Amino acid sequence: MKFFRKLSFEQKKARWGWYFTLPGLIFFALFSFYPIINAFITSLYNKKLLSLKKPSFVGIANYVKILTSPDFWNSMKATAIFTVGCFIPLVVVCLLLAVLISTRQRFKRTMQMILYSPAVLSSVVIALIWMLLLDPRGIMNQFLNTVTGQTGIDFKWLSDTHMVRFSTILVYFWKYVGYFTILYITGIGKIPNTVYEAATIDGASGPQQFWLITLPLLKPTIVMVSIMAMIQCIKTFSTQYMFTQGGAPLGPINVITLNIYNTAMRDLKISRASVMSMILFFIMLILTSIQMRVSKSDEVTY
Amino acid sequence: MKKTVCGMLAAISVALAFLSFTGCTPKADENQHIDLTIWTHEDKNRTELEQEFIKEFEEANPNISVNYVTYPSGKIKDILVAGFAANEGPDIFNIEINDAYPFVTNGRVAPVDAKAAGYKSQKALVGAYMDKMLDPVTLDGKVYGLPLELTNWCVYLNKKIFTDAGLDPEKDAPRTWEDVMAVSEKVAIHDGEIITRRGFDFRYPYYLISWMPMVEQLGGKLVSDDGKTAIVNDDAWLKALTYMRDFGPTGKNLGSPTYTAARKVFDNNQNEIAMSLSGLYQEQRMASANPDFFNSSDWMVIPYPQWKNATKVEPCHYYGHYYMVNAQKSDASKKASWKLLGFMLSHSEEYLKKVAIVQPTKALFESDTFKNMPYSDVFKADLEKGSIVYYAENSPKIDSLLKTAVESVMLTGTDPATALAELKKNVQDVLDEE
Repeated sequence: MKFFRKLSFEQKKARWGWYFTLPGLIFFALFSFYPIINAFITSLYNKKLLSLKKPSFVGIANYVKILTSPDFWNSMKATAIFTVGCFIPLVVVCLLLAVLISTRQRFKRTMQMILYSPAVLSSVVIALIWMLLLDPRGIMNQFLNTVTGQTGIDFKWLSDTHMVRFSTILVYFWKYVGYFTILYITGIGKIPNTVYEAATIDGASGPQQFWLITLPLLKPTIVMVSIMAMIQCIKTFSTQYMFTQGGAPLGPINVITLNIYNTAMRDLKISRASVMSMILFFIMLILTSIQMRVSKSDEVTY
Repeated sequence: MKKTVCGMLAAISVALAFLSFTGCTPKADENQHIDLTIWTHEDKNRTELEQEFIKEFEEANPNISVNYVTYPSGKIKDILVAGFAANEGPDIFNIEINDAYPFVTNGRVAPVDAKAAGYKSQKALVGAYMDKMLDPVTLDGKVYGLPLELTNWCVYLNKKIFTDAGLDPEKDAPRTWEDVMAVSEKVAIHDGEIITRRGFDFRYPYYLISWMPMVEQLGGKLVSDDGKTAIVNDDAWLKALTYMRDFGPTGKNLGSPTYTAARKVFDNNQNEIAMSLSGLYQEQRMASANPDFFNSSDWMVIPYPQWKNATKVEPCHYYGHYYMVNAQKSDASKKASWKLLGFMLSHSEEYLKKVAIVQPTKALFESDTFKNMPYSDVFKADLEKGSIVYYAENSPKIDSLLKTAVESVMLTGTDPATALAELKKNVQDVLDEE
C-alpha cells in the first residue's frame, strides 16, 4: 500500500532524474564498472590468455609477485618521472598560453587552431612523425647543432636513458598543449568582464589582475585540467610503445601501461596484467580524490 | 531508490564478470555451406597471389566461401591473441613460429589433416618437406601447421660502396665478425658523432634470430640441454656483448638500433649502408623499390659471418611462418581449411617467383625457379647448416630480455658483465616459473 502512495512533485522530479540517468549508468556499468570487476576477479586467478584450462584461484599471490618484482617498481618509477615531467609543465605552460591568447585582440582563433592541431592526430602517427625528427640524422639534431653553433653532435634523443625520457615527455607535451590551453581559454571566458573592469577602474595592473582575479576565479578549471592532465600522463602508452619498437631502450620508458600490455599480450599472463591494472586504477583514484578534496575547500562563485 | 539502482547495477556487473570468466566454448557449426576466415599479415604481392588461389579454389568448391583478411605484421599477434582469448579466432591464421608456439601448446590449433591437404598420409606430408622444417610444429608425433615461409638471413653487400671505400668486394667481403668490424670501420663515414654511411648494421630487435648465433658459435647457449639453467658459457656471452658495445654508439659508433633499419636503406642504394642482413625475400622488395639496383651487378649476398675462433659453425637461425587451423572450429570447417591450405601451398614455385618466399619443400629446392634466383645457393647452404630459432612459450619474453641486455651495453653504457648478470638472473626467473 505504501508503494502506491501518491508521490510529491519533488519525488516525481527525482524519479524522472533517475529515468534520464539510467542509460548512462547502464553504459557505465557495462563498459567501465564491469571491466574493473572483471579485472579484479581475473587478478585473483592464474589465468593465461590462450589457455583452455580452467584457471585456478590463487588469492593475493599475483599481488605479492607483482609488488616484489623489480620490473614493476621500475615501471612505477618510469611512470612517476613521466607524469611529473609532463603534467606540471602542461598545467603551467597551458595556463600561461591561455592567458596570452585570451588577452590578444587579433589572431586569437588562428593561434588556438595551430595549438590544437596536434591533438587531432592519433598518438601512433605522432610518435612516428617524432621518431623521424629524433632519428640521429633527423631534423632535431640538425636544429640543435645549428642553434648551438656546433656540428655533428648526436643528442641521442632515442638512446640515452635521460634523453629518451625527455623525448617521450616532449612528444606528449606537444600533443596535449593545445587541448589543455583551449580548456583554460574556455574557463577564462567564463570570468565576467565586469570583474576586470572594476579592477581596472581601481587601478589594478595586468600582473595584479592575473594573480588576484584570473588565477583565483579559474580555480575550478585549473583543478579539472590538472586532474585530466595527470590521468592522461599516468595512462600514457603509444609514444613509449612506438619508441621501443623503433629501437629505444625499454627500461627508462617502461611505463606501467606498457608493462601491462607486454605482460598480457606478449607473456600472455593476463592475471598479472590485471593486478597492475588494479594498482594503476587505485593510484589514479587516490590522486584524483586528493585533488578533488583540496579543491573543494575554496569553491568559486561569481 | 538510489541505493537499489546502484546495488542492481553492481550485481549485474559482478554476475557478468563471473559468467564471462567461466565462459564456454562455442559449439561447432555443421552447416552444409562452409564459410572460412583467414587472418594473415599484410604483404601486397602475397595477398594478390593468394586471392587468385582462393578464387580458383572457390570455383572448384562452390560450397566453401573464403573471407581473406590482412592485418599489419606488427599488429596481427595482438589481434590473434585477443580473438582466441574470446574464443572468436579465425579458421586459418599465420604468425611467426615464436609467437605461434603457445597456440600449439595450449591446444588452440588442430593437427594437419594430411588427406584433406592432398597427401596420401602424414608420412607422405612430412616426406615432402626438407628435413627438420616441420619440427617446430610437431608435438607428440602430430604436425600442427604447414610452412607459409621459412626464412634465413645472409648478408647483402653493396659492391659499389666497397669499391668507393678502397676495398675489393670479392676479396674483402667479411667472413668473420672481426672482419665485419674492420670493414665497417673502413666504410663508415661520420659527421661528428652522427653516422652518415654505415658499413654494416644488425637486424634490430630480432636478437634470438640474428644475434644468438654469434653466442652459439663461441659455445654459448641460451638454455642448458636439460632446460633448467639459463645462460651457458659466460665467456661466449661476454665476448658477444662486448662486441656489441664496441660496435655501438658508446664504442666505435658503427651502428645503432635508433638508425633507420639497415635493410630499408640498403635497397635505396643511396650510399648509406654497405651491408645488411636479410632473407631471400629481400630480392623481391629490392626489385620493387629499386629495379635498377636489383638488375645491376652492384650487389651480392655472402654467408652469415662466423667468429675467427668459433667452436661451432652456426649460421643465422631460420624462422618461419606456419599456416595453422583453429581447433575450436567444426570438423567440416577444419577439413575445408586444410583442403584450402593444401591447395594454396601446392603452388610453392609461384610463391617464390612472385613473392620471393621460400616454402621448404624438397620439390621447390630442386626446381629451376629456386636455383635461378640470384644467390639462392648462398641461402640454401646456410639453411642446411643452420638451426631453427629458439621457440617456446616464453620465447617472446626471452627475446625482450636479450633486447634489454644488448641495447643496454650498446646505448646506455652498461658494462657487459653487469648486463650479463642481469640477463642471467632474469632468464633464470623465466625458466623457474615454467
